[in-house]
Amino acid sequence: MIHSLFLINNAGDLFLEKHWKSVISRSVCDYFFEAREKAVEPDNVPPVIRTPHHYLINIYREKIFFVSVIQTEVPPLFVIEFLHRVAETFQDYFGECSETTIKDNVVIVYELLEEMLDNGFPLATESNILKELIRPPTILRSMVNTITGSSNVGETLPTGQLSTIPWRRAGVKYTNNEAYFDVVEEIDAILDKSGTTVFAEIQGVIEACVKLSGMPDLSLSFMNPRLLDDVSFHPCVRYKRWESERVISFIPPDGNFQLMSYHISAQNLVAIPVYVKQNISFFETGSSGRMDITVGPKQTMGKTVECLVVTVHMPKVVLSANLNATQGTYNYDPVTKILVWDIGKLNPQKLPNLKGSLSLQSGAPKPEENPSLNIDLKIQQLAISGLKVNRLDMYGEKYKPFKGVKYVTKAGKFQVRT
Amino acid sequence: MPYFGSEEMVKELKRALSNPHVQSDRLRYKNYITKVIRYMTQGLDVSSLFMDMVKASATVDIVQKKLVYLYMCTYASDKPDLALLAINTLRKDCADPNPMVRGLALRNMCNFRMPGMTEYIEQPIVAALRDKASYVRRVAVLGCAKMHSLQPNTEIDGRIVNELYALLRDPDPVVVVNCLRALEEILKDEGGVVINKPIAHHLLNRMKELDSWAQSEVLNFLLRYHPRSDDELFDILSLLDSFLQSSHAHVVVSTLRLFLHLASAHRAVQADALLRTSAPLLATCSAVSRELRFAGLCHVQQVMRSQPGLFATHYKRFFCGYSEPSYIKFRKMEILVELVNDENVSLVLEELRSYCTDVSPELAQAAIAAIGRIARTYSEKCLDILTGLLALKQDHITSAVIQTFRDLVWFCPQSTAAVCQTVEAGVDRPQDSEGKQALLWLLGAHGDQMGSAPYVMEGYIDGLKTELSSTVKMELLTATVKMFLCRPAETQDMLGRLLHYCIEEESDVCVRDRALLYYRLLQRGAEETRRVVTGPKSDPSMSVLTGRQEEPISEWASTFNTLGPLAGRDSCPQTDAISAADQPSYSAGEELLPGSEDVTLSGPGDTEEEISLSLGAPLSHESFEKMWLDLEILHRQALGVSRPRTAPDTLQASLQLEKIQTLAFTPADTVPWKAYIYTRSTGTLILAELLQGATDESLVLSVKQQPVNQHAIRRFVSVLKSVLQTLNLE
Repeated sequence: MIHSLFLINNAGDLFLEKHWKSVISRSVCDYFFEAREKAVEPDNVPPVIRTPHHYLINIYREKIFFVSVIQTEVPPLFVIEFLHRVAETFQDYFGECSETTIKDNVVIVYELLEEMLDNGFPLATESNILKELIRPPTILRSMVNTITGSSNVGETLPTGQLSTIPWRRAGVKYTNNEAYFDVVEEIDAILDKSGTTVFAEIQGVIEACVKLSGMPDLSLSFMNPRLLDDVSFHPCVRYKRWESERVISFIPPDGNFQLMSYHISAQNLVAIPVYVKQNISFFETGSSGRMDITVGPKQTMGKTVECLVVTVHMPKVVLSANLNATQGTYNYDPVTKILVWDIGKLNPQKLPNLKGSLSLQSGAPKPEENPSLNIDLKIQQLAISGLKVNRLDMYGEKYKPFKGVKYVTKAGKFQVRT
Repeated sequence: MPYFGSEEMVKELKRALSNPHVQSDRLRYKNYITKVIRYMTQGLDVSSLFMDMVKASATVDIVQKKLVYLYMCTYASDKPDLALLAINTLRKDCADPNPMVRGLALRNMCNFRMPGMTEYIEQPIVAALRDKASYVRRVAVLGCAKMHSLQPNTEIDGRIVNELYALLRDPDPVVVVNCLRALEEILKDEGGVVINKPIAHHLLNRMKELDSWAQSEVLNFLLRYHPRSDDELFDILSLLDSFLQSSHAHVVVSTLRLFLHLASAHRAVQADALLRTSAPLLATCSAVSRELRFAGLCHVQQVMRSQPGLFATHYKRFFCGYSEPSYIKFRKMEILVELVNDENVSLVLEELRSYCTDVSPELAQAAIAAIGRIARTYSEKCLDILTGLLALKQDHITSAVIQTFRDLVWFCPQSTAAVCQTVEAGVDRPQDSEGKQALLWLLGAHGDQMGSAPYVMEGYIDGLKTELSSTVKMELLTATVKMFLCRPAETQDMLGRLLHYCIEEESDVCVRDRALLYYRLLQRGAEETRRVVTGPKSDPSMSVLTGRQEEPISEWASTFNTLGPLAGRDSCPQTDAISAADQPSYSAGEELLPGSEDVTLSGPGDTEEEISLSLGAPLSHESFEKMWLDLEILHRQALGVSRPRTAPDTLQASLQLEKIQTLAFTPADTVPWKAYIYTRSTGTLILAELLQGATDESLVLSVKQQPVNQHAIRRFVSVLKSVLQTLNLE
C-alpha cells in the first residue's frame, strides 16, 4: 500500500526516508521536486503527483513535506489521512513536528514508523497503544535513561491490543478519577467590505481527557442537542443511541482523545464576535497609501475577546508601513509582505485602532486588489454556537469521578475582505 | 557535513565498536550504535561496519536490537553473506519469551530483502502463525506475503494459503485484516483473495472491531462480493449503514463506494446514500488539512456528475479563502460553475468577479473562464462583468476575457451581438499569442458586425514582422481572408500585403503553405473561396445536446475513491483546457476548414487530455469491410436503449452531427436490425456495429478499432449513447 516515505524540508533537502517494501531510489522524488518548483509556493504543490511508475501523495505540514510513494491503486483519502496521522503522532511524541525534533529523535521516529506500518499496511496508529510500545521522550526520562542506561521501550506487550474493546486497555487504575471535556469551536468566516457575512460556519470538537479506573460507561447529554446535525464521533460512541435519544454514550479510551467533531453551517446560528472597520487605499500618484483599521466587539455574549491578532497580506509593491497603534504592537515584514498587528485583549470601551501611511515602490502602478485581513482571536468560557453540556453520568463503576467542562471559541479561517 | 571526511568517521566508529572497553559499557556502546544509524539515515555509507553491528545484536536491550535490525535490513542486500551470520541470532530471538522480541525478530528477518532467505524464514513463520500472542501472529501473517515477494515466480504454497484463509477466523481483528492483505499479495496473479459468502458475512460482522484503516480496506475487499438475493443485499447494507457517518472521511467514502456498487440496480438506495454522505463530504471539503479538503472536493465533483442538485444550497462552502492553495481554488471554481442556479447566480458571479483580480494570473484566467461558462446560461450578467474587467487594462485579464468571448460566441450564438459591440467599443490588444488568436478569430468570424475590424486587423498586419508565433500568423491569414469575403473593399489592399509577405518573406513553412493555399483559392474566385473558408460560426452540436446531462452513477462509481480523479488532470487547468473539455466537435472537418479553429493545430498537447471524435475522410464500403473482417472485437456492450423510431435520415444526420459517420443500415422493419458506423479520434479509427435482435430489445454495440485506444472507445460509446437517448426522447 504505502511503499516508502520521504520527509523533505522547505529548502528541498530530503532528510529522512523509510521503506516498508523494497528500497525505492531517492530519484523518484525528482518528480516531486519538479512539481515543487512549478508550484512556486510550497502551499501550492498538488497533493497527488503521477509519475510513470508510481503515484506520489504528499502532505505539507509544519514546513515539512511528507511524500509517500504508492505503487498500487489505493483510496487517496486513506493515504492522506494516514500521513496526517503520522505527523500528529510525531507532534504527540515530541511536542512539535519540526525538522529539528525529527532529526533529534531520529531513533524514535524510526521505531514509530516501524510499528505504524508493516509491509506498507497501517498497524498500530492509536496513540494509546503506540505509547505503550514506545514510550515518548521526556526530559526526566531521558535523564534517568542516561544515568541508568535503561531504554524507552515498553517491556510488556500493550494490553490494549488484547482487550475486547480495542481502544481501551484493561485493568486501568487511577487514584484520582477524573473526566474533563473541552468544547473547542472555531469560526470559519468570510466577511465582505461592508461587514456582511459572505460565508460563516462553526467547526467544533469536543476533546476529552478521561482518566477513570476500570471499565466506565459514560453518557454525555447536551442542553440543546438540536444544534448538532452534522456530527462525527470517535469509534467508541454508540451511534444508534445518539440517533434515537441524542445522548452520547460510550466507553472511553484511556487518556486524551477527540470524542466528537461537528459542523454548524446554518448562517443564522453563527455569531460573528468582532467587527472590523477598515480603510486601505492607495493613491494614484506619489506611490503611497493610507491604512486605518479599527476592531470592535460585535456578538460576544458578554465575554472578553482575547489574543486578538490581525494579519494583512499586503500587495507586493508595499515597501514599508508607518503606522500608529493605539493598542498592541504591529510588525511589517517587507520580505513576506505580511503585516501582523498583535492587539491582545479587546477593550470595548476603547477600541483598538491602527492608522498610518504605507509607502509603495516608486514608479510601480497602484495595486489592483486591496489586501484581505485575517483575524485570529480567542474567547474563553464560551461556545459561540451556544452549545452547552447538560450532564455527564457514569455507569459500571462505583467511585465518584471529578468532572469538568471548559468552553473556548477561536477564529479558524476568519477573513475580512477590503 | 557528513560527506567530508566520511571515511575517517567510519573508521573511527569501527574502532570504537570493536573496542572491548566500549562494548562492556552498555551506554557508550549504544551511543555509538545510535551514531551509526544517524549517519545511515543521512545517506552515508556505513555498510563496512556490518560485522560489528551483527555482534551488537546479541543484547537484551530492545532499543539496541531495533537499531541493529534497522541497520541490517538496510544493508542486508549488499552483504548477503554477512547477513547470514545475523540470522542465527534472529532465529534465537524468535523463540524469546517476550512476544515483542519474537515479533520484532520475525519482522526484521522477513525484511532482509535478499535471495535465499526463504529457507531460513519459512519455518519460524509457520511456527509464529500459531503463536499465542496476537502481536506475533500479525507479523507472521504479513511475513508470508514478504516471503512470497522474495521469490515471486515460484509456485504458490497451498499450505500457507490454506493456513491464512483459516486465520481469517482469528480472534484478533488485525490478524484478520493482515490475512486479507497477505492473501491479496500472494494470490495477485490469480485475481487476489476470494471473498465468498461466509467470508463476506464474517468480515461484515467484525467490522465494528476494526480500526478505521482496516475498515476502509475491508470495504474495498467487499467490492468483490456479489450478494445472491435482494434480502441479503439489504442485510449487508443495513450492517454498513453506520459507517456512512464515520468520523474518518476515508471510511465514509469507501462505504459510499461499496453502497453505490452493491446497490447498482436500486437507484433509490444509491440516491439515499449520496444524500446521507453529502454532509460528511462537505465536512471534508472544509477540513483543516488542505490535502483532505482537496480530496473532498474531487469526490464532491464526482458526485455532482449525477446529482448536481445535491450541493446547490451549500454553494457558499465553495467560495475560496484568500490563503487557500491554488489547486483547491481551481477545483472550487469548477464546482461553483456547476452549482449556479437562478437564485444564487448573482452572488456566485460577484464572488468569481473578485477572483478575477487575483495575484496569480492562472487563477485569474481560470476565474474568467468560469464566468464564461456561466455566461452560456446567464449571458447578460456575465457579459457586464467581463466587459467591466476589460476596463482594468491588465494584460493577462484582457487576454483571458477575449478568449472567453471567443468560446462564448462559439457556444452561445445569441450573445454575438453584445460581444461584438464590446470588442468594437475598443479593447486593448492582448499581448500573448492565445489572446491574439482569440481576437483575430472574433474579427474574422464576425467582422461584418464590427465597423472597426479591418483597422484593428491592419494594425496586426503592419506589425507582422515582429510577430513570433506562427499560429498567430496563420490565424491572421484566415481571419483576413474571411474578412475579405464580407468586406472586400476595405480589406483587399491589406490582404494583398499580407499574402505577399507570407509567401515571399516568411520562413515558417506552415505559414507559407497556408498563405499559398489561400492565394490559389482566391485565384479560383470569391465564391469558391467562400464555400471553403466560411464554416459554421457556432457549435453545431448544440442543437442536439442542450444543457448538462445528469450522468448515471455507474459512469463514475468505478473510479470513485481512486487516485485517478485526483491526479487525472493537471492541477492548474489552463483556460483552454476548460473550454476544450466541452468541445467534442472542435476539430469538425478540419481538413476542409483549416482556419475555423486553430486549437487543433496548435499542437497535440491540447487534444491528448480530452478525446474528440472527428469525421475525417470518408471510408469506402470495401475498405470498411476489409478492416471489419481483419480486426477483432475490442468492446461489446448492450447500450440499454432501443433503436430510435425516427426516420433513417434523421438518425444518420444526428450521428453525423456528433461526428459519427454511418456506412450502412438495414431497412427499418427487418429483424434483426443492423447498422454499421465509424468515426475517427486522435489518430485512431473506430468501427462499430449496432445490432437489435427483436423489436424493442436493447441495442448491442460491438466496437473494433485500429490502433487501440480505450479512451477513444469510451468517449465514442458515451457520445453514441447520448445521441440515441436524445433521439428516443423525441
